[in-house]
Amino acid sequence: MKDEARARRLTSLLIVAGAALLALLPFVGVAPFTITLLTEALIFAVWAMSLDLMTGYAGMLTFGHAAGFGLGGYAAGYFAREVTGDFLASLLVSELVVLPAALAIGFVVTRLSGAAFAIVSLCIAQVLFQIAVAWRSVTDGMDGLVGVPLPTLLGVTVHNGNQLYLLTLLVAAMLCLGLRQLVASPFGRTLGAIRANADRAAAIGIDVRLHKWLVFAISWAIAGVAGTLMVFMKGGTTPMSLHWIESGNVLIMAIFGGLGTLFGPIIGAVAFVFLRDAFTSGFAVWQLAFGIVFVVVVLIFPSGLAGVVSRSWMLLWQARS
Amino acid sequence: MSRRRAAVDLNFLFINILNGVVYGAFLLLTSLGLSLVFGLGRVVNFAHGALYAMGGYALIAVMHAGGAGYWLALVAAPLLVIPIAIVIERATIDPIRHRPDVDTLLVTFGLSSIIVGAIEYVWGTGTTLLPAPAPFAGTVNVLGNQYPLYRLIAALVSLLVSVGVFATIAFTPVGLRIRAITDDAGMAQALGVNIKRLLTLVFGFAAGLAALAGALAAPIFAIHPEMGMNILIDSFLVVVLGGLGSLTGSAIGAFFVALTKSLGGGYFAEWSTAFLFLIVAAALIVRPTGVFGRGRVA
Repeated sequence: MKDEARARRLTSLLIVAGAALLALLPFVGVAPFTITLLTEALIFAVWAMSLDLMTGYAGMLTFGHAAGFGLGGYAAGYFAREVTGDFLASLLVSELVVLPAALAIGFVVTRLSGAAFAIVSLCIAQVLFQIAVAWRSVTDGMDGLVGVPLPTLLGVTVHNGNQLYLLTLLVAAMLCLGLRQLVASPFGRTLGAIRANADRAAAIGIDVRLHKWLVFAISWAIAGVAGTLMVFMKGGTTPMSLHWIESGNVLIMAIFGGLGTLFGPIIGAVAFVFLRDAFTSGFAVWQLAFGIVFVVVVLIFPSGLAGVVSRSWMLLWQARS
Repeated sequence: MSRRRAAVDLNFLFINILNGVVYGAFLLLTSLGLSLVFGLGRVVNFAHGALYAMGGYALIAVMHAGGAGYWLALVAAPLLVIPIAIVIERATIDPIRHRPDVDTLLVTFGLSSIIVGAIEYVWGTGTTLLPAPAPFAGTVNVLGNQYPLYRLIAALVSLLVSVGVFATIAFTPVGLRIRAITDDAGMAQALGVNIKRLLTLVFGFAAGLAALAGALAAPIFAIHPEMGMNILIDSFLVVVLGGLGSLTGSAIGAFFVALTKSLGGGYFAEWSTAFLFLIVAAALIVRPTGVFGRGRVA
């Protein structure tokens, strides 16, 4: 128990130190383009962490995680364009749309589990995608929502580049700390019990549906934060943000990094963004390389990159003692 | 005046129904393969759409490189895809069958990306249009409408092949083994069924069906690397609605999905697909095993 508390403090320290290190990057001459890629990677990291909470910790495999992300992006983008670009206000509005939607949808779909849940989650994201395409008066259809202003924070305009990077980093670090707290809490431990065996969890008196429902809502809410950041970074959004290919991408990031680990999704998101950038000389080559890496990871390193790291760490540890 | 308007409306309805039936025949072919592979090995095959696209590209490869006619290429395309699918199954799916279902789902997702990427690498991202093949190039008069003859022929071929699949499973020794594995894999193995070999064969066979559907559909929907993605999603809806692993359910589901799409598309444009997804989600919530399914879902 004492070791656990120490490990938890160590993790918090690691998050803060990592964030501080990343915050130094713009001041040590890192190229602006790399900063842009890092911003995108951090947004994806937030999104992948939210998926990890649902899929990795609670064992609910989702193929429609673009839903919360895209919905949050549309809500924040529309509000920012029509009313004010204030970041906190936009974030609040985004959550006021995403959270009730997640609570309503989650209430119904958490009746399902396994493959049925995975497929229905895909269906829900596809419904939102179709609505974004069809509801032209609000979403501008396939053209997408454009003309989202730069965000302002407490009255100060946050410019693209270093400023947005630091804002994103701050949000990502805070969410990461929050998630660490959450997964170590009794609530988080209960999720582990549900993932391991939902029937047994129910048998010892855990309200499985209530927990799944809450996780679903929290996960969507965090995805909505990522969507809000993304809509400000891109200055707009399109229905493609809700497409199932995006759901596949975020799933891959989390798996690539390692499901059920705190840092896995972050590593996965960074690897995804930089690998994609390295390969985008030709889209076909990227997709081919992406597929090969993906299959190899699942076949040979099923616990993802984090698994590789922790396994090597374990081996080192054993060799030392 | 109003009677004439009613006639026009009725005609519009009729053409939409006809289009739905044609699309349903293709969906039947693709979802049968999806359902078989799930029923036997509990593999949710995300690469099924990519194999469908592979069929379309195998068709044009045989036609352009080999100088063959459409019909010969139509037969050759699945025969080219089947061995590739068998190699894929042995190399990537077979080694992880003992792992949770989720892992095979993820691998097939990656495979889909590899296949589509390889197609784009070799043939580029462009769209290839194929004219309707020789004896059926024209149109035919259906209740006063000029309807492309090839569509009806292609639908007929799909239906005949599907009936063949049903007959194979219902009446042949191989079909008996397949049904045995679907019922109880452990017991089937104890009775001497070579499960490993049969799972590989069925995967190859299902890929062949997808490839045939892709090649058949090529003159109707055009060929492009992502051509399998929409049909994959629709086929998923079919098997989920019909019950994963239930072939009869797939047959009914295929026409339900296709007709809903084409009728809805005729009157409500893009809203129809959203509506269809809602129906499927609602059906799954009421009956998690699928409307016609008997077994478990996960």
